[in-house]
Amino acid sequence: MFMSLHWLKVAAATGVAAIALASASYAQTVRVTVAEYSSKTGPYFEKAASEFEAANPGTDIQIEVVPWDVLQQKLTTDISGGANADLAIIGTRWLIDYVSQGIAAPLDDYITDDFRARFIDTFLSPSVMDGQTYGLPIAASARAMYYNKALFEEAGIAEPPATWDELKAAAEKIKALGGDAYGFGLQGKEIETDVYFYYALWSQGGTLIEEDGTSGLDTEAAYKAAQIYKDLIDGGLTEPGVTSLNREDVQNLFKQGRIGMMITAPFLANQIKEEAPDLQYGVAAIPAGPNGDRGTYGVTDSIIMFENSQNKDTAWQFMDFLFTTEKRAEFDENEGFLPVNAEEAAMPLFADNADLKAFTDLLPSAQFAPVIAGWEEMAAATSNALQRIYLGEGEIQAELDQAAAEINSIIEANN
Amino acid sequence: MKTSRLLRRSIISWLILSPLIIAVLFPFAVMFITAIKPASEVLRPTWWPSNPQWSNFVTMWNATNFGAALWNSIYVAVLSTVLSIAVSIPAAYALSRFRFTGKGFVQQFLLISQMLSPIVLVIGLFRLLVALKLLDNLNAVVFVYATFNIAFSVWMLQSYFSTIPKDLEEAAWMEGATPWQALRKVFLPLALPAVTVTAIFSFINAWNEFVIALTMLRNQASYTLPIQVFSLVAGRYTVEWHHVMAAAFVATIPIAIVFAWLQRYLVRGLALGAVK
Amino acid sequence: MNRSIFTNPYVLIAPAFLLAAFIILWPLFQIGEISISNVNRFGQLRGFAGPDNFMAVLADPQFLASLWRTVIWTVGIVAGTIAISIPVALILNEDFYGRGLARVIIMLPWAVSLTMTAIVWRWALSGESGMLNSALMGLGLIDQNIQWLAQAATAFPVQIAIGILVSIPFTTTIFLGGLSAIPDDLYEAARLEGASGWQIFRTITLPLLRPFINIAVVMNTITVFNSFPIIWATTQGGPANSTDILVTYLYKLGFNFGKLGEASALSLLMFALLLFFTIIYVRLAMQGERE
Repeated sequence: MFMSLHWLKVAAATGVAAIALASASYAQTVRVTVAEYSSKTGPYFEKAASEFEAANPGTDIQIEVVPWDVLQQKLTTDISGGANADLAIIGTRWLIDYVSQGIAAPLDDYITDDFRARFIDTFLSPSVMDGQTYGLPIAASARAMYYNKALFEEAGIAEPPATWDELKAAAEKIKALGGDAYGFGLQGKEIETDVYFYYALWSQGGTLIEEDGTSGLDTEAAYKAAQIYKDLIDGGLTEPGVTSLNREDVQNLFKQGRIGMMITAPFLANQIKEEAPDLQYGVAAIPAGPNGDRGTYGVTDSIIMFENSQNKDTAWQFMDFLFTTEKRAEFDENEGFLPVNAEEAAMPLFADNADLKAFTDLLPSAQFAPVIAGWEEMAAATSNALQRIYLGEGEIQAELDQAAAEINSIIEANN
Repeated sequence: MKTSRLLRRSIISWLILSPLIIAVLFPFAVMFITAIKPASEVLRPTWWPSNPQWSNFVTMWNATNFGAALWNSIYVAVLSTVLSIAVSIPAAYALSRFRFTGKGFVQQFLLISQMLSPIVLVIGLFRLLVALKLLDNLNAVVFVYATFNIAFSVWMLQSYFSTIPKDLEEAAWMEGATPWQALRKVFLPLALPAVTVTAIFSFINAWNEFVIALTMLRNQASYTLPIQVFSLVAGRYTVEWHHVMAAAFVATIPIAIVFAWLQRYLVRGLALGAVK
Repeated sequence: MNRSIFTNPYVLIAPAFLLAAFIILWPLFQIGEISISNVNRFGQLRGFAGPDNFMAVLADPQFLASLWRTVIWTVGIVAGTIAISIPVALILNEDFYGRGLARVIIMLPWAVSLTMTAIVWRWALSGESGMLNSALMGLGLIDQNIQWLAQAATAFPVQIAIGILVSIPFTTTIFLGGLSAIPDDLYEAARLEGASGWQIFRTITLPLLRPFINIAVVMNTITVFNSFPIIWATTQGGPANSTDILVTYLYKLGFNFGKLGEASALSLLMFALLLFFTIIYVRLAMQGERE
């Protein structure tokens, strides 16, 4: 028994050595973990890889496409086993953990002033921590309000609503039509359920994290915002079954022409072009509150380089290649994201796009997810409270206060 | 008349089974109908498309790399089943026929080892495979599936084997047969229903397994069917539901064939015939 | 009896046991290690934590709520499955026209991976775009769409029903295997003595099926207790954790919040619970058999 264990180790060691020797000859291999946005994501990156390999003989770029839903799980297992790629796309809101644990490598040594000048600064700043840049914004979007022009005409609504009160009135008119359309599409499930609420929160002058570092949920602004949504649900002005619909579900209803207004990202416009070309829609600003406050949610996904990568130079060259204007334009056109390169933004394809204009106009009031440890947990606490409110299972003030307390204790525990 | 009794029994049986059959067939109906809807109609809950697109199956096959994933699944499922059964039959035979020290311990261990959720085991398993440099390797997946199935297969086989009377083999031994001959000629034919059932279990577990394959397989070329179908749905901004449903539907067919082929082995009276 | 390699039990068991032990014990050891350490969200150990992770899990109100729901989930599905599978197996054991076809149909849920089944059901259960509602409306059974997955009161029972549906093939197969081992003579003798169908069932079939029922209970309990895809794909344990069972709660802890230490501690607790139940059940069952 002892002998056989010994031989097993010898065999394993020999096997490992043989494979290590073989892989040493591929010194220029760069592995990239790519998050999947749509069926076009994989082919785009494969093409970029081939183009790069052709221009740089001796390099080998291996693309691994991972669905978003399991990206975190895969990255976690990869990193824990030391088997992570050289580059990976992550949600920028996760970046803080990667930085604090020394997983992500700082890129400043590679970034020249010319390179930095390519970018629109709003998008680069979320990846900068402690003065060092840890990732490049590979995908960027904001949020705006889509509305169904045909429904508006039918219901006699002249202009898209500019405030929440106007939105409520517009929704009432659509409800009065009596068909199978609903006024306001409200997302109550899965990721960004909390964000949907923030649009209302920001319009009431609320913030996510107050000046004193505590949660902004136990404030008048938050209660009012939640009340706005609750009233919409109770009045039958939203689609039914709010808590069973995630963003994709609400978007599907919108594409079928059954939703008057909903708030989401630029990629919906692309989807409509392909899947519902006859739908007449428009894009407007997110409604403002009584004081004219309004806010949109800015999101970036970053591509990072791992600290334990063996091929940092080649990996950087590939990143550089991905951020040339051409490659960026191709990606953003495919997926429907906002341009992060200044030169790209000036291209007619983007500058003349009326839909995109609504989004870029909102950028000055864009807020990003706070860069603090434990944000996922906080978002979950907020979403849970909201779901209970939407279902009528909890009182607004009580639920939001409890969520705020939870968030505060998470903030304390992590700092 | 015998025929009319059979007919009456048939009608009653189908009637009693019908609620269950409807519940079982409902998801398949949903899958099939959605699969043949044109892309623009997929989101509407109609029960028959206005314009059935039979070609969806073909486009799905190409768009989702179905052929390769199908082959990978067959490879993994068949090999891991064979491996698992080959190792489990002797073990189950030993457990059901012999007394020896440590028997209780082994039985307990096999049962208990199945209680750990794969979701948590996966991190440790992953580290193990990384250490052995066996990531993205279909053979490693075969090995993992086979070993996970062992605990279950031995447990199942042993329970069945214990119901096969020992007298038959002992009679054979007394007539001068070697244990190997007794095993082959007397025992195995009787054990066939049990082995078949266990093989079905192992095959299906391997065919449908998801968490381990998701973690171990990195390349789209080595994906098995569940991962491939899942990747069409998970986290994309827009999901092509007609392709997803078509893929899920077609993925069922190989197993349905395996069932249809093997269910005859559950014929009753097999044991009875042998005793006579 | 000739002593040969085929009569040495240790040799027969060795390959199976060693392989199974290897694949289970190594990860188990890792989990144990992680559960008593401070670990970052990437599974890298950063020091000793003692019982802290366990205490944190036990103190979380979500833990008790999920535990309770897990009990309901498991008992509901296992009891429901067995209750339905016994009559179904009895029927499928008799000969009738189209029996082969009926068997294949009833086995079908098993042919689809659980994840796919869950996705299809989620699709069919959609309030506004789902085919279940449109079917029920078309049949005149309801006049307004039911939002199945919007609240736990409707979602959880539906999830349990789906769990039963997917467990029936497996359990029915076990029972069919067991029934096929019951000799015909017993039934003939009983019928000759004038016993009714119910009496035959109670005095002959049921006792002979008992070991198989026990297998089915234990196997199903283990699988159902840890079953993830159905609840995850339909509600993700929501809304507001109201359909969370221990294993979905575990996933959120470990992969969404990155608290791998607590997740490992929880998995060990779940393992202990399941072990405890199984030991008690097997003891009781064996006592029953001896009588």
